[in-house]
Amino acid sequence: MHRKTPWSLLAMLISLALVAAACQPAPTTTPGGATTAPGAPAATAAAGDADPDATLVTNLGSEPDSIDPHKASFVGEIAVIMNVFEGLMILDPKTLKPIPGAASAKAAVSSDGLKYTYTLRDGTKWSDGSPVSAKDFAYGYTRTCDPATAGQYSYVLYVIVGCEDWNSMDVTKATAAELQAAKDKLGVKALDDKRVEFTLNEPAPYFDSIATLWVGVPARESDVTKGGDAWTESPATYIGNGPFKMTEWKHNDSFTFERNENYRLPVKLKKWTYVMINETAVAFAAYQNDQLDITGVTSENLRAVEADATLKAQMVDVPGDCDIYAGYNLKKPPFDDLKVRMAFSKSVDRAAFVETVLAGIGKPADGGFIPVGQPGYDPADKAQAFDVAAAKKLLSESQYATAMPPIKFTFASSNLNKLIMSFLQQQWKTNLGVEVALDPVESTVFTQLVKSPETTPQLFRLGWCLDFPHEQNWHSTVWKSGAGVSAARTGYNNPEFDRLTGLADRETDPAKAADLYIQAGKILSQDAPATWIYYTQSKRLVKPWVKGLSISARGVTGLGKHDIYVAKH
Amino acid sequence: MTRYAIQRLLLLVPTLFFVALITFALARAAPGSPFDRNQDRPLPQATIERLNRIYGLDKPMHEQFVLFLGNAVRFDFGSSLVRDRAVADIVKQQFPVSAQLGVQALLLALAIALPLGVISALRHNSAVDYGSLLFATIGTTIPSFVLAIFAIYIFSVNLHWLPVFGWGTVDKMVLPTIILSLGPMAFLTRITRASMLEAIRQDYVRTARAKGLSEQAVIVGHAMKNAMIPVATVLGPFTAFLITGSFLIETVFSVPGLGREFVRSIGSRDYPVIMGVFLLFAFLIAAANLTVDLVYGVLDPRIKVGK
Repeated sequence: MHRKTPWSLLAMLISLALVAAACQPAPTTTPGGATTAPGAPAATAAAGDADPDATLVTNLGSEPDSIDPHKASFVGEIAVIMNVFEGLMILDPKTLKPIPGAASAKAAVSSDGLKYTYTLRDGTKWSDGSPVSAKDFAYGYTRTCDPATAGQYSYVLYVIVGCEDWNSMDVTKATAAELQAAKDKLGVKALDDKRVEFTLNEPAPYFDSIATLWVGVPARESDVTKGGDAWTESPATYIGNGPFKMTEWKHNDSFTFERNENYRLPVKLKKWTYVMINETAVAFAAYQNDQLDITGVTSENLRAVEADATLKAQMVDVPGDCDIYAGYNLKKPPFDDLKVRMAFSKSVDRAAFVETVLAGIGKPADGGFIPVGQPGYDPADKAQAFDVAAAKKLLSESQYATAMPPIKFTFASSNLNKLIMSFLQQQWKTNLGVEVALDPVESTVFTQLVKSPETTPQLFRLGWCLDFPHEQNWHSTVWKSGAGVSAARTGYNNPEFDRLTGLADRETDPAKAADLYIQAGKILSQDAPATWIYYTQSKRLVKPWVKGLSISARGVTGLGKHDIYVAKH
Repeated sequence: MTRYAIQRLLLLVPTLFFVALITFALARAAPGSPFDRNQDRPLPQATIERLNRIYGLDKPMHEQFVLFLGNAVRFDFGSSLVRDRAVADIVKQQFPVSAQLGVQALLLALAIALPLGVISALRHNSAVDYGSLLFATIGTTIPSFVLAIFAIYIFSVNLHWLPVFGWGTVDKMVLPTIILSLGPMAFLTRITRASMLEAIRQDYVRTARAKGLSEQAVIVGHAMKNAMIPVATVLGPFTAFLITGSFLIETVFSVPGLGREFVRSIGSRDYPVIMGVFLLFAFLIAAANLTVDLVYGVLDPRIKVGK
């Protein structure tokens, strides 16, 4: 899942003005009875204090490029999709483990671990009341693997037999017969109206987690065919099985959702509007003006929030699911030398970084690649811990000790990135005496640069936000040699790491798998193809009348949507 | 006059052709492609090449340009490479919003600037004149988005009179319209004052007074008509500028206009949207200039267009 770089052109200025403004005593519109902590789960399903006519208003940030579940990949797009659709499995907001969604139970797994079969719940329906069939799920998965869909998130299903082969075909060159042959080999099959079966390339105990993703939500072939490319545009064809139905999409302005009466659980909220405010500072003003019920807190407006008792009481902490790190091109000097990489890694004071650059909104990366709060986090991994003396010693032992080549640090230009990189630049200068030049480039240019080790700069900004909460999606997806997202760019390749993660990925005993991943993670940190900088966290402001939230790494409204409601106020 | 107008309209064809050519070349020359969107997970080169083939981006540049032109003359600008929408739909849905905001701002600017400029000229060096100078200086020197932030803080966050963002109802339009109009309003005030000052010192105005015409007839019928020529000159580009959407104002107030979409398309290398929107803007600017040229002849009989 990917975060878009927010518009930052005006953010600073606006923030400064609003911070200055909000430091004065703000007009208090404190609603009475704000004793309940915001986001406290609803005590009972009855929700007697719910306002039956209230609308919840939240900010999507910007217009989504696509709300087609089988194409989408950005957070804002997924926020729309998961209001309207539900996968076979969903994530438990507390544990982030997969639990049954549209399916009645976890998958029944064949003895060889290669076949996963899900059975749908009885009476599961589309929002228009017609029954959901296993065929609709098979169609959804098939559509994601279909090269003609040209989705950008298909890779996540490559563990399914035939998905990668078919998805990689060139629809402009292959004949219809060739495409059909590839499609026929796909390991996705509706056995009957209730059961859908997946055949995998190798045992993948994490498949239940994959089944929670938006790429695997069902779709009705007749809706997609009827609407054509624009099936997502109209409420008449954009029909799902999730807690809400989309009733209006005003481009660049708003989405409106209404309760799906046919959802498998009672939905407490009647109406939900997503607005699209690019600037976080404007969203903050809208929140103060009661036009928004939930908004993000940035390091720029944190001071203003903390200075205001009312706002401060409405602030909640939200766990994060990204690791932000500085990557090295292992094929280019001086970072082809492990000692230099390790010296760089050990000379960053991450605690100071989080305090000064992020104003405390984030966690220092103190335990390897996988962030705190996620399965696989390893607090004992101290390979890259801050230690200036050790860093200096390593640098003096490196082959570049006397002749350090010029170093450029390349990143996509944004206000936050500039702050982050300047801090790192300063650390390396102060602690190691190494000059690093900053090289901000436009984000599209950056993306193009970092595709392969040949064009990837020496030192560059990297980050990973999980697709689904499982170690496989961190270690194997990101660092497996050759194919791994960050491995491909840094040129990282360690057969022992690959061996351990490969074993772990197939291991059906969760305890054994977890141990293997921990071992692999330690190797990764010692190889230092990147310097872990920080784990993301966030803070939100939530109006006291918004109740029933399940706060998780999926955000404040990402999970448990049917329980959210607006109390009378 | 008619012949002149037709000539100028015909000139639009080569103008738009060159705008298209230059825009096309510049957009393609910028590094990166519409498929380079995810920093953290760039698509593999093989996938990008496949997508390029699907969307015809692998063809030689001149061939792509000819294809584009062939479709463009039929008003077919294709579909966005990034969004699931046709360029025509994007323009159809977003342009009216920008145009409405722009026209409102322009009318407001004129409604204030013309009388204020004329009064400042007639009573120059008076309190009114200095007041209008102060206003004009503020209006031209402080960027609109800074004023927007202060307006949001005062009228929305503090006084709770007006919404912070959005579009579609009158209360939501108030702030963006006023803020967008301030810059042009200030500039138009100054230019009206200056040309009015010049006009009232002309011989023909003295003649009109000597003839015994009422002061009102002298000012409105003689001085103002001529003083409007410089105003009309700047009004053309202003109109085009205002109705094509102000990216900054649209961003701050979350107005669903074309300006934001335009800037977005450049950043994401969404070539079809870039081309469609650029050509629309070029056409509007050319049309605004042509209108101004034709209006000259009406305002001042000494200017003979087309001769």
